[in-house]
Amino acid sequence: MIRFDPISDVPRSRVVWVTLVALLVALFIAGLVFVAAGTNPLEAYSTMLRGTVADWSGWSEVLRRAAPLLLIGVGLTLAIRAQFFNIGGEGQLLLGAVAAGGVALFTPIAPALMMVAMFVGGALAGGLWALLAAFLRVRLRVNEILSTLMLNYVAASLVVYLINGPWKGEKVRGFIYTDDFPAYAQLPTLGDTQVGWPTLVLGAALAVALQWFLGRSTGGFELRVVGENAAAARYAGISVASVIYRMALITGGAAGLAGVGEVAGIHHKLLEPGQISSGYGFTAVIVAWLARGNPALCLVTAPLMGIILAGGDVLKINMNLPFRITDVFSGVMLMCLIASEVFVKNRVRWGR
Amino acid sequence: MKKSISSLITLALTLTVAGTMTQAGAQGAKLKACFIYVGPTGDIGWTYAHDQGRLAAMKALPWLETKYVESVPEGQALPAIDKLVKDDCKVIFTTSFGYMDDTLAAAKKYPEVIFAHAAGFKRAPNMATFMADFYQVYYLNGLVAGALSKSGNIGFVGTYPIPELKRHLSAFALGVRAANPKANVNVKWLNSWFDPAKTREASEALIAEGADVLSSAEDSATGVQTAGAKNIPTFTHYNPMLKFSPTDVVSGHIVHWDKIYIDFLSKVHSGAYTTKNLANVDYWWLLSKGAVEMGADMGMPFNAKFVPQLKAAKMMVGGKPVSVYDRVVALNAEMVAGGKFDPFTGPIKDRSGVLRVPAGKVMSIGDLNGMIWVAPGINGQVADEPKK
Repeated sequence: MIRFDPISDVPRSRVVWVTLVALLVALFIAGLVFVAAGTNPLEAYSTMLRGTVADWSGWSEVLRRAAPLLLIGVGLTLAIRAQFFNIGGEGQLLLGAVAAGGVALFTPIAPALMMVAMFVGGALAGGLWALLAAFLRVRLRVNEILSTLMLNYVAASLVVYLINGPWKGEKVRGFIYTDDFPAYAQLPTLGDTQVGWPTLVLGAALAVALQWFLGRSTGGFELRVVGENAAAARYAGISVASVIYRMALITGGAAGLAGVGEVAGIHHKLLEPGQISSGYGFTAVIVAWLARGNPALCLVTAPLMGIILAGGDVLKINMNLPFRITDVFSGVMLMCLIASEVFVKNRVRWGR
Repeated sequence: MKKSISSLITLALTLTVAGTMTQAGAQGAKLKACFIYVGPTGDIGWTYAHDQGRLAAMKALPWLETKYVESVPEGQALPAIDKLVKDDCKVIFTTSFGYMDDTLAAAKKYPEVIFAHAAGFKRAPNMATFMADFYQVYYLNGLVAGALSKSGNIGFVGTYPIPELKRHLSAFALGVRAANPKANVNVKWLNSWFDPAKTREASEALIAEGADVLSSAEDSATGVQTAGAKNIPTFTHYNPMLKFSPTDVVSGHIVHWDKIYIDFLSKVHSGAYTTKNLANVDYWWLLSKGAVEMGADMGMPFNAKFVPQLKAAKMMVGGKPVSVYDRVVALNAEMVAGGKFDPFTGPIKDRSGVLRVPAGKVMSIGDLNGMIWVAPGINGQVADEPKK
């Protein structure tokens, strides 16, 4: 008979070691999958590491994945702290991409101001998209897990509509995407890689700023109180609605920035939703969860997930493993992390 | 004096030996060719066919070493190419139209590597293009479809409304109308190369709208399976799909990418193709080169079950009634032999009545690759059609 005794004040060391054990368990289960695929798991892991962190070209791939993950992840830490389960990072990212595309292709903004306008537009669009779910939750008590998830599909359909219809490029020979952005609406990259450094810098700055906001500002304190006990917050005179709205604008806005980075840095046009993002909005949930709601820790967890995503590509290329292996990997990891939550908050006792 | 002569002889000998050694080295050296695929190798369609081509080339060329990457999204070919170059690939085949700009960028970035891009139209000194095109086979299958349709309503599942698909769809419709002047081809677009779920939906919708023959251009066997489930005649696409629906696959289009891969790689190996002379190398291989084949299965042009029906169906050729079966066999033989018949011989009007190919003219490869109009007899929305 197993019994779970709740721990009232969880020590930080317990969080750390339970998380590490969860990661080890995830690596072990994923290892079984490798064995089933006929590959030695140790060889697979070492190939992953050699292809990603051993040299600059490997790192460039890691950073390319880490940039959007970091931006969305830090935004999501705030949502986690406010107990607002935003599964809509993907849709908010797409809205950011749409805004960037609209600004780049159809507004007469001076080239010098173009990048700034795209980022501002992207953040606003992503933020408002998240605000929609927040409004539904506050006013109509619509579960935000469902609304944010469903809004992803609406966002994807919006992109498909735009690139098929009014925004369809004139030089694309029937393919469905927009024309290329003008050169001044393309993000500068590090050397000849696809790493747009402005998004990386933005992500890092946001991680530090939000860490300060959460820990040291009144707004951050209010947000934490709302997350931990909404009734108490209300009793203390905190406006829960306005806290949730501000949080939604930030979490959605950060995802919107990531969307701007993807289309302005890599694709240079608006294209099919599945190709714009490759699931960053969902993977970022793991980034935020691993960081246990600490924005600054995302600076570690985002590159970690970047290694896993880029490593999956390495496995695909070097060991010819099926391309779904990366999805299995991150899925197993998220499962283990979520399951570990129970061991963080409870002590396990055997016997009666 | 004697000493200097002997040292000269030694030098000459050394040089000769060194020379033969490097030559032997070149002969024995392996050539590493790498492939970037847009779908999974198990798609049973486009990517599977490329992979079969790769395997056949491996078998035929003992000095060939290969590697592949599957399911590379079209926006993300460059990072995959980076890895392959780092991995010492000397020839890289990028096998989807959407890789065009990334391949061109990579060709500039890696001038010492040879690139070959499928289905595109941009080339560079170290980047060739190649395509095994089906338009002739689509015409033949159109004749078959026209002969088999009782309702005069034939379904076509299209991927992207780009020139390649418009060419195939139009050739198919021209064939349908030649065998059955009252028949129409209804088209639905997926806007995806590989999407079994959408293919099923589109196929079922076309059948529900009355189609009694179906052709799907998507990269999986889903179209064939969906048609098979409703007992509707259908066509194999890229690979033999007869086994997925043995009683309903009539004929189809089968590709042999190995013909192109073996030819190209042999010329790279012999030194005929270098990183300097590919700007005008464009493989546009059709029935006459054996790069494509009409058939339900390899070497089986027709499913025997449908032969009596095709023999009974009559069409008018030059004012005389001919059986559709005989016509298809004759045209197939003529095109395989490199004869002068071409489905796109004028006069051909587009579906809004504008003359596109004047009488007696044949469309050039450039025209075929930039085709934006579609032939009469096609119903349904087609993006990017020229205005009247």
